[in-house]
Amino acid sequence: MSVQPRPEGIAGSSLAGPFPVGAYAEKLREELRKRARVQLFGEVWNFRASKAKIYFELRDGDGAVPCSMWRNDFERLGLQLGSFTDGCQVVVAGGPGYYPGSRTSSPSFSFDVSGLRIAGDGDLLAQMEALRRALGAAGLFEPQRRLPRPALPRCIGVVTGEGGKARDDVLAGLRRRGWAGRLVWAFAPVQDRHAAPRITQALQDLAAVEEVEVVIVARGGGSLADLFAFCDETLCRTVAMLRVPVVASVGHHTDRTLIDDVAAVSCSTPTHAAEAAVPTHPVEARAALARCAASLQTHGRRAVVTRARHLAALSRAPAQAIARHRVALHQRLKELRAATRRRVVDDRERVTRRAGALQRKAGAAAGAQDRARRTALDSLAAALAAHDPERTVARGYAIVDDGAGAIVTSAEQARALGDVRLFFADGPADAKIINKREGSS
Amino acid sequence: MSETMTYEGATARLEAIIKRLDSGEAGLRETLDLCQEGRGLVEFCAGELDAVGKGLEELRLDELVARLEQRPPA
Repeated sequence: MSVQPRPEGIAGSSLAGPFPVGAYAEKLREELRKRARVQLFGEVWNFRASKAKIYFELRDGDGAVPCSMWRNDFERLGLQLGSFTDGCQVVVAGGPGYYPGSRTSSPSFSFDVSGLRIAGDGDLLAQMEALRRALGAAGLFEPQRRLPRPALPRCIGVVTGEGGKARDDVLAGLRRRGWAGRLVWAFAPVQDRHAAPRITQALQDLAAVEEVEVVIVARGGGSLADLFAFCDETLCRTVAMLRVPVVASVGHHTDRTLIDDVAAVSCSTPTHAAEAAVPTHPVEARAALARCAASLQTHGRRAVVTRARHLAALSRAPAQAIARHRVALHQRLKELRAATRRRVVDDRERVTRRAGALQRKAGAAAGAQDRARRTALDSLAAALAAHDPERTVARGYAIVDDGAGAIVTSAEQARALGDVRLFFADGPADAKIINKREGSS
Repeated sequence: MSETMTYEGATARLEAIIKRLDSGEAGLRETLDLCQEGRGLVEFCAGELDAVGKGLEELRLDELVARLEQRPPA
């Protein structure tokens, strides 16, 4: 231990010293150890365990004492670490202890616990639950939830600690949302006995400003004891009656303070609270709005253009009908001509076929008749030949006429004539009848 | 456009108009009227979006109150 020269004391002070702090700290520890060993009872808060010791705060409504206990002693009692929750009521035995610290470690005070007994649930938690039931029975959970929440608030109020991380988280949430309107900060302490009235006042002040449309109340994580300001009855009743919706984000999502019950919305983190305060995502909304505008334009144009086209079609109808009929008529004419040509060709072929058939039939019929006629002719020829005078003349007969062409067929005519002409096969010869008929000469 | 029109009211009406137009049941006169009303709503909503997109303005409550108190009465 280094020995430092003792400095001069404070001029005019009647107090003893100055003493070295280490010596005083050691003396303080000795004095505290002399105090009577006692039993205390209260609620366990902020329970945590290291390898060697367990630590917690023993609280009631009026005060708190930090406690520590050797882990071996704790486990010797048959207790489990998991059997302790915030608000658990215990009785502890022990006395005050003081660790003086050193050049490299901090001093600390704690009540050194040598014995411990779990006595039941804590009064603070019980009081909080009783208040929760009373607020619920009074219908104070409903008014905020019935308030209309603006989809796109232009002005947002925020109640939070000025130096807390929650402030940055709220800003980050709003930026992530793409919101860039007016943000009004109402800073207030968020953890001590003065916190609840200041938070209440900040909320009332924000709600009194007409342009504030929604209020965020944000505080980061901590033990439930640290968050107890947000279970204050006056604060909760005030929130329930505010004209603007309150979005609460107090502690971790496992903690549920009473302000979470009376607020319009309860969120697990300040970032989520910021997003909940702006239900509409401005960037997405702008894209949706552009789609709506395009849709309106399309519908408007289509409604007019469609009908204009219909009207134009109607106005063109007569000309189109005539053209249509003309085409149809032309087509029918072509078909008619083609049909006529086919008909003529068919008729010609049919007539040709019939003519051929008739010709064949006629030919056949004519041959038979010719043969019959020829036979008859031959018969007639034969008969004629049989009666031909030339053939008779050729056989030695002669034809006698009177020289003037009249045939003399009897001797009497010949004798009467006296002169006759004889026709032989090779020519005529005049003759004289010598034995004229008696009496005629 | 109504003085009490809200963004959510405007978007809800706009959705109803688009739905009606999409149904194809609106006649020419109704279609044109709906398109005109819709364009007005789009303009209103765009104005609302512009109002929260100009840039984040941070104020302390007392600053805002002081500013409001300086504003001449309407």
